[in-house]
Amino acid sequence: MRGSIWARALLEGPCDAGGFPPSVVVCDGTIGGRPYRTVAVVPNRGARFPRARNGEFGLDEGLAVARAVRGAPPGAALISVVDVPGQAFGRREEAAGISLALAASVAAYIDERRRGRSLFTLVVGKAISGAFLAHGMQSGWIGALNDREVEVHVMPAASVARVTRSSAAEVARVATVVPATARDIATFASFGAVDDIFEVVDANAPAPDEIEAIRAAIDRAREAGLGIRAPLERLERPEAARRALARDVRARIDKAW
Amino acid sequence: MTPALLRRSYVEATPRERIEALVDAGSFREILDPFARCSSPYLAEQNIVAQRDDGVVIGRARLDGRDVAAIAVDGRFLGGSIGEAGGAKIARALERARDGAFLLLDTGGIRLQEANLGLLAIAEICDAVVALRERAPVVAVIAGSVGCYGGMSIVAALCSQIVMTRVGRFGLNGSEVIEQEAGIGELDARDRPAIWRATGGIRRVEQGHADILSGDDLDELAGALRAAFAAEPNRERLSLERLRRCFAQEAPA
Repeated sequence: MRGSIWARALLEGPCDAGGFPPSVVVCDGTIGGRPYRTVAVVPNRGARFPRARNGEFGLDEGLAVARAVRGAPPGAALISVVDVPGQAFGRREEAAGISLALAASVAAYIDERRRGRSLFTLVVGKAISGAFLAHGMQSGWIGALNDREVEVHVMPAASVARVTRSSAAEVARVATVVPATARDIATFASFGAVDDIFEVVDANAPAPDEIEAIRAAIDRAREAGLGIRAPLERLERPEAARRALARDVRARIDKAW
Repeated sequence: MTPALLRRSYVEATPRERIEALVDAGSFREILDPFARCSSPYLAEQNIVAQRDDGVVIGRARLDGRDVAAIAVDGRFLGGSIGEAGGAKIARALERARDGAFLLLDTGGIRLQEANLGLLAIAEICDAVVALRERAPVVAVIAGSVGCYGGMSIVAALCSQIVMTRVGRFGLNGSEVIEQEAGIGELDARDRPAIWRATGGIRRVEQGHADILSGDDLDELAGALRAAFAAEPNRERLSLERLRRCFAQEAPA
């Protein structure tokens, strides 16, 4: 339940916004006197779709996150608190068109950002695949906790081995030579995708000084206008050392277009 | 009606043949063609032979005179997966497009071998689609045998219009992966008719998730693509009220 812990801890005077399913925690409050809304997807054992009971990003979660984002109070910045093990894998989800649930959330974040609302993301646990695309990746600023359980990837580790018909050892070996397949936050940061990494003693029990450091970083980023940056701006950051190929491809396209 | 012998199948055509057949005759100019060498440097290490265009074809073309970006994902190369180079090609083509863009999506989504670089590329492509569709049509065509899955299915859902054929499938997680991860009780990946009934073009258009159903014939698809460019953007597709009603139909009793 890291998502709900941090969604509440980050704000001064947090107050749960009503009207959302138990799997989506939405809190309104302030940081340094300015309004913020935090949004987190959390496990809900009673979810009506059985494949979305462990914190997965499913049909109802997509709609609820989109509603929380589009309906954020005027002037409030958004903080996506991310601990999502992935999207819901299920037959009902596919029949219903779960791609559209994720797209509804992505569209909500993009539209709000393009209208000038600052978007921040704090990765406190797993940030996997479509779930991270739908909740967190559209932010202008992305921070993360330095913690063993924080990981970014496109598939759970065990699934990667099964899908590629290789062993866990081989998957681990590849991660050392192809950084894009690694799961740790430091490697993800080497793609220019992470703005700040925060030290925590216990990621499940944030200490007051740890919370204060994160609040200060987010509010500084808001002041500097970083929350409205488009994802592609990340490519141009000096920290994006490992994305030289993408930059090169773009430059070559521009020359030939 | 084109005589049967002269009909050409989209499924059987290569990505370049598909683009050539859909746009104004002779108007396609590829950018970073295979001779430009734009392959993935990450595959050799994983014992996979790279492809010089990284499985993505982009360029400029005319569509009823409009100056559009043509983008095609090659489903024959690593399941039409999106890596760093191919992802950068798609994002930049969308940004450079003048009067709109179309994407021929025959793709399984993010390339597992370039995991997080693919993830970053898809987030960028999503933003580029939304930015472009505010000023010009962005049309997705889902008509290949791979279908459109994973992160690229989110991209398709953001487009202003979606054209599908009955062969095309549009979903998030492929059936093999669901069966493997959730068990055969959840989904039997060998039951192909059931999968097409639930996620194929006929169903998606019926649901309102996609807009235009076309046959596999390239001339017919060329007409459908032009119709999609001429149509108003579908603003209802991602309406939360519409989706709430759609999803309720699939909820367990």
